[in-house]
Amino acid sequence: MSLRVLLRRVGQAFLVLALAYTGAYVLLSALPGDAVMARYGSPDLGLSTEQIAEIRESYGIDRPVILRYFESIGAFLRGDFGYSVQSGAKVSDLIAEALPSTLALAGIALVGAVFLAVVIAFTASYGKGTWLRRLFRNLPPLFISLPVFWIGIILIQVFSFRLGLIPVIGASPAQAIILPAITLMIPIAAPLAQVFLRSIDEVREQPFVSVVRARGASTSWLLWRNVAPNALLPALTMAGLLFGELVGGAIVTEAVFGRVGIGNLTAQAVANRDTPVLLAVVVIATVVFVTINLAVDLLYPVLDARLRRRGSGGRAARRDPAFVDAPMETAAIDGSALDAVAPGSGPGSAPETDRPGGTR
Amino acid sequence: MNKRRVAVIAGLAAAAIALTGCASGAGDNGGGEAGGGTLTYLEPQTWITLYPPAGGFYPNGGVVNQITDRLLYQNPETLELEPWIAEELPEVNADATEYTFTLREGVTYSDGTPLDAENVVKNIDLFAKGDPDRALSVSEAINNYDRGEVVDERTVKFYFSAPSPGFAQAVSTINSGLLSSDTLDRTGEEFGPGNATEIIGSGPFVIADEKIGSELDLTTREDYDWAPPSRDHQGAAQIDGVNFIVAGEASVRVGTVVSGQADIARTIPAPDEGQFVGDTLSLVAAPTNGVNNGLNLRFGHPLLEDIKVRQAIIAGIDRQTIVDTLFTDSYPLATGVLAKSARGYVDTSEFYEFDQDRAKQLLDEAGWVEGSDGIREKDGQKLTLTFNEALPQPRSKEVVTLIQEQLAEIGIGVEIFAGDQVAQDEAQKDIDTIQVYHSMVGRADFDVLKSQLYSANRNAALNLNNTTGEVTDPELDTLLAQIASVPTVDERQAASAAAQQRIAEQAYVLPLFEEPQVFGLQSRVQGFSTESIGRPSFYEVTLEK
Repeated sequence: MSLRVLLRRVGQAFLVLALAYTGAYVLLSALPGDAVMARYGSPDLGLSTEQIAEIRESYGIDRPVILRYFESIGAFLRGDFGYSVQSGAKVSDLIAEALPSTLALAGIALVGAVFLAVVIAFTASYGKGTWLRRLFRNLPPLFISLPVFWIGIILIQVFSFRLGLIPVIGASPAQAIILPAITLMIPIAAPLAQVFLRSIDEVREQPFVSVVRARGASTSWLLWRNVAPNALLPALTMAGLLFGELVGGAIVTEAVFGRVGIGNLTAQAVANRDTPVLLAVVVIATVVFVTINLAVDLLYPVLDARLRRRGSGGRAARRDPAFVDAPMETAAIDGSALDAVAPGSGPGSAPETDRPGGTR
Repeated sequence: MNKRRVAVIAGLAAAAIALTGCASGAGDNGGGEAGGGTLTYLEPQTWITLYPPAGGFYPNGGVVNQITDRLLYQNPETLELEPWIAEELPEVNADATEYTFTLREGVTYSDGTPLDAENVVKNIDLFAKGDPDRALSVSEAINNYDRGEVVDERTVKFYFSAPSPGFAQAVSTINSGLLSSDTLDRTGEEFGPGNATEIIGSGPFVIADEKIGSELDLTTREDYDWAPPSRDHQGAAQIDGVNFIVAGEASVRVGTVVSGQADIARTIPAPDEGQFVGDTLSLVAAPTNGVNNGLNLRFGHPLLEDIKVRQAIIAGIDRQTIVDTLFTDSYPLATGVLAKSARGYVDTSEFYEFDQDRAKQLLDEAGWVEGSDGIREKDGQKLTLTFNEALPQPRSKEVVTLIQEQLAEIGIGVEIFAGDQVAQDEAQKDIDTIQVYHSMVGRADFDVLKSQLYSANRNAALNLNNTTGEVTDPELDTLLAQIASVPTVDERQAASAAAQQRIAEQAYVLPLFEEPQVFGLQSRVQGFSTESIGRPSFYEVTLEK
């Protein structure tokens, strides 16, 4: 890949970041009320309009939106996230306090989700007994349709209140992370399992499988040597989507379990219209999202020989992650290029492939 | 293969047993023989500020009530004022413009500084005047304040520009919680989360530790010796401390207390009250002694200008069904704008009879004719009203939904304004957005009625139209202002009764029920009480082993 292409990619990433920030800023400004109203406009305080106006002035929130927008960008570029209007704490402190616990939660949930997805896919393909295979084949659609908050509440009810295995109050950090991680794991495992399942199905239809089998390969050999590499690409494509799931899931999970974390911080900032905190969260989430997608884009050609074509960043071969069921391209075991990339097909479009006629 | 699988399963099982093994024994509260254990208290929301005048939000007040003392103590049973930091009730002049308090000796803040006359004046000066530069608001409870004066070390005098009969009660509320002089120099932000351990009061508990947004640890102050003389217990609290834990999810709060993992939880939803039966659990429904949970009909709006329409809405709503369907015995049906136990209460229940035939007749008389969709019309205008969803109030959305069904039967359309608290606060200021405002106020003083409806206070019925700046019913304003400006109790009683009569006759408000603060408790918690409007007090609590 040429330097020019790389620069263009990075430029695009920055553009996305700027658009996300502006979008968030405009939306927050357009909503009725603002952070000062959230804190002082409550009828509980019984403040008069004049008194509130004085306080707004002291916060400088009565100045034009466009002026405050450019000021906030300047502050961000200096690395100054400002202060939470709600609590007066430094936003950077709040984030620093919340980030480790969320990273631990997301990390454990992600690892668990990959493990769970592999188990589901493998059992659904090679499990003993038709009923078992059928059961596991139906798990991903079930998992994806369970509401996260509901899973959390049910887990607490069963494991903490009924069985008394894990205390909700005064649990050690290790205990406190078990149930939230399981809660978050389930919706993330579902799309992953679906991708693995499809890949296994696709590859099993291939003629070369019979050849490999005939030469005495065991099932596990097939799985790890032939199926797994094929499943890697679509799974990688899911990474960006999974991150979105992780963020959304963390907000709900942390709220249900009362954990301190970025998710809980976001939920409270939304409820209290805490613009500085929200903008910081938006920027951090966008940076991570854009970075993941950039890394995935740049990794494609490294992982798949067929995508190493001059001037193409491999983007054309990316599939729309929303359609896990999009037809998978297939690769021969010797890695010879099928060159299935349709030139000029835009991002997210499925490449034309000679799809082997397989029934699902 | 199979053997290996068995081994794996066995290993997993062993790990699971090990994990659960660590878990057992985490439930005890770690109290020694000498101390009385630590109380675990679950709060639905995070506190926002510990600046007393802004402490009206229950999560704030719940903390402020433990760490500060007040000049006077309002007995939650009788609502009478009794001495506390002031040795005796204040001397008040005839027209209630001068108050003189004599302070108790030897009271200190937890940082060791004395609670003396100079400090008290500094407190009340700030609370009564606020400081916009530091984003510190004025206390709603203190009216017509002019200045405070240090007479000597133990005597303070406060002067008012006009009669301020509510001042004695105002200094008994958490909004006048006394703070050390250094604490009073903080800015609005510095009273917020992250600063809790630096908010210094003289109360029976001291904030020892804080985890922003999730936990607050209070420890007992051992040398505390100035409880209100009328309280049963004196000296230091008998428990070691209180652990405030934020648990926003109602089912989690209920389950945690029911399963014995926590001692007390605030805000038990009405449908879950049934779980608190039996020997090991109990329920406390504390009255809030103020303006009842109800609907304010904004009579300045063209659709509600006609008294017949307002009367029809009141006659068309079946309050008994609402209370029976959605609530429990903890939520008594309202018999007036004020709760039965509130100061100045009069019974106006005759004005809130449910009678849909009469409602239809009133609407016919007012010229509202049923349209094709069943909603009444007049001069091409539909009789459709927008209600807010009162997020802090219990089950507000369900209440309004039931009302929607009931009013549809008499041909009145109801829409619900959805949105978060900030959007709701903003919307309720505009009569064109919200025509019927669902709300309540807890405060155990005559002034509470004025607070809720007076044009310069909460203005709940928007008597003062924010867009035109006009007062629709000046007479109501005059009556309400009277409550806060006549000096004697008898006169205030009469003024409050007159205002309530006006509100009932003019069909300005439909009170629904007397809103309680409902706490769920483990029975081992003894001596739990609440202050005059239902905020928790842990001072007299003991924990049985």
